[in-house]
Amino acid sequence: MLKTIIRKELLENILSYRFPLFFLITAVLILTSLYVRNADYNKQVRDYSEQVRLANDELASSRMSDLFMGRIKLRGFLPPAPLSVLATGFESSLPSYHDFDAEGPKPGASAGGEESILSVFGKLDFLFIIQMVVSLIVLLFASDMIAGEKEMGTLRAILANSAPRHSVLIGKLTGGFLTVWIPFLVVFLLGLIVLGLMSFPIGGADHPARLAGVFLATTVFLLVYYAVGLMISASSSRSRTSLVAILLVWIVFQVVIPRLGDMLAAVIHPARTETVVSMQKSLAVKTIDREKAIALGSKYVELFGPITDTSAPPEPEDKKKIYEAFQSEWDNRASEQKASQLREIDDSYRREKDPQRRLATALSLLSPGAAYSRLVTDLCGSGEIDRADYYQSVQDYQRTLDAALYQYVKKRTMIYPGGRSGSSSSITKMVDLKTLPAFKVKTSRLEEVLAGNWGSLISLAFWLVAPFAVAYVRFLKYDVR
Amino acid sequence: MTENQTILKANDLSKRYEDGVLALDHINLNVRAGEVYCLLGANGAGKTTTINLFLGFIPPTTGTCLINGIDINKDPLEAKKYVAFVSENVMLYGNFTARQNLDFFAKLGGKPSLGRDDYYKVMRRVSLQEKAFEQRVKTFSKGMRQKLGISIAVIKNAPAILLDEPTSGLDPKAAEEFQEILSELKKEGKAILMSTHDIFRAKEIGDRIGIMKEGRLVMERTREDLRTEDLVKIYIDYMKSEPMTV
Repeated sequence: MLKTIIRKELLENILSYRFPLFFLITAVLILTSLYVRNADYNKQVRDYSEQVRLANDELASSRMSDLFMGRIKLRGFLPPAPLSVLATGFESSLPSYHDFDAEGPKPGASAGGEESILSVFGKLDFLFIIQMVVSLIVLLFASDMIAGEKEMGTLRAILANSAPRHSVLIGKLTGGFLTVWIPFLVVFLLGLIVLGLMSFPIGGADHPARLAGVFLATTVFLLVYYAVGLMISASSSRSRTSLVAILLVWIVFQVVIPRLGDMLAAVIHPARTETVVSMQKSLAVKTIDREKAIALGSKYVELFGPITDTSAPPEPEDKKKIYEAFQSEWDNRASEQKASQLREIDDSYRREKDPQRRLATALSLLSPGAAYSRLVTDLCGSGEIDRADYYQSVQDYQRTLDAALYQYVKKRTMIYPGGRSGSSSSITKMVDLKTLPAFKVKTSRLEEVLAGNWGSLISLAFWLVAPFAVAYVRFLKYDVR
Repeated sequence: MTENQTILKANDLSKRYEDGVLALDHINLNVRAGEVYCLLGANGAGKTTTINLFLGFIPPTTGTCLINGIDINKDPLEAKKYVAFVSENVMLYGNFTARQNLDFFAKLGGKPSLGRDDYYKVMRRVSLQEKAFEQRVKTFSKGMRQKLGISIAVIKNAPAILLDEPTSGLDPKAAEEFQEILSELKKEGKAILMSTHDIFRAKEIGDRIGIMKEGRLVMERTREDLRTEDLVKIYIDYMKSEPMTV
């Protein structure tokens, strides 16, 4: 019985005009997007290699003292994530590089900064196509699955036979879903072939597992929308009503919740922007440096007498030692104060931001579309996990540089009574350029992606089971008359 | 199955909807093998409700519907094995060909092993034109759809057939052809319960005729009775009078 219903659903959908149209739209959009995004990725890889080469050339032609004194900066670039050809995610909004010096990392421009006004529409990548095009078509397929048969009266004809209602429902879901899943499977495989022909590293690293993950997640996502469509169709007596309801649900799931979630979270849990935090940190550092400079300047004048316009006072050895001890004490004190204040600013920012992030994530999980986006962007290495890893890598690299390089630079500014200033710097140990550690961005492991996405997985599971359960109950109670 | 064996039986069948409307009021009827029972009545008299109750589409408020001795509400899947249904607007899949429709409903009706030749044979039997066998049903006239509908009932080979106003909207030739098919099915021993507005067709084909009014079966006559009585007059008289259950 189930096989008969499945076969009928498949045949009915395949014979309708919607099937070839769906196949064509899906194939054209996905294959075109993969081709274009892969070309874009190849360009990004070339740009990245060129930028790294140029930065290394600049370093090679510089002296270590230039680096120590901050005349040139170490620059760490964000390598493009290969699987971002499927989901751009945060990639275009992240700083494409960071500059590192003794004062800390400074973000460079994002790749998105170089794009045209059309970029506000988002990238036509695989994720976008599935989310905004395929999901809608899937819902449209499902809209008249039950309501349409009610309207035509064929449901009466089916139920006049010894067909158990649950078999009819499961058969319709399975057959109907296969009608959209098979074209998707074919297009996905064709897409992989296209990427393979364009020398995309499909077999590289854990790409096969991640691609399988994307495929599975998309299958579940489409099944979720099919189940939602089934629920609406089973609850409507007319396919037109079902269609309107489906469009409303799609708008809420795909447009309203994901966008409103972030906005609501920002209103309920307001937090400073990263720019404000960065400026506050910079101000805190400058304030401490200024206090230190004033203290050093005052001590200098106290020990060696006032500075004249033409020359510095003589520095007797005994007083020089006292001054150096004072300097060291202030170096330590300033360093501790900076660390403490920066930590405090970071902590308070985290305290503001964490509830906001948690709320935004929780709200976004109300939408299967948002849950699917999180999962797929993370699988493609362009999501929240890799963004956090990137910023963590920046902090880690800064710490490495501090330990390996910048701790040997003593750069001091003095502000003398009256406001005049002077500075001195010294290098306590030379470091070989070749021994400098390279900037490496940590990339997420598949286990981390899965562990970090349990919420998304639960959301998808819920949206799969709940609508089907509602559809099941509605259909079992359906008055066939 | 023997002649005179009751295939369709309604015992004290009533249906009151949730809004309080009494659609069927303590109906008792039975249809034997090889018999055509015609239910006549105005719109809303309860003819279609009776058929819906026999198909288990709605539960009765009181009473039982037995198909081949099986209570449709106790074991609907088993009971439905013994009944085929043809409605006024035959419900078919427009994008399917006649054969594909027949194939689907045959499999659904428990005939999984039938092939193209079997389907062609049945469609020939109901006088569907040969060229229509592989045509999409959405291009069919009402008469052609009705023939295909009856072929679905024929291929199921169930002992009972329920027909809900099957000749409504058919031209006289198509209605005549339909009647011939019913006569053949009757000869094969099928128990046929047909609701209709068509008094003349009912008189022609019905072995027994029941008139329904406001949910009650107010009159029942056999073919023998109608040799001496005028069905049209009886029908009009009953429509004018207050309903009294038979």
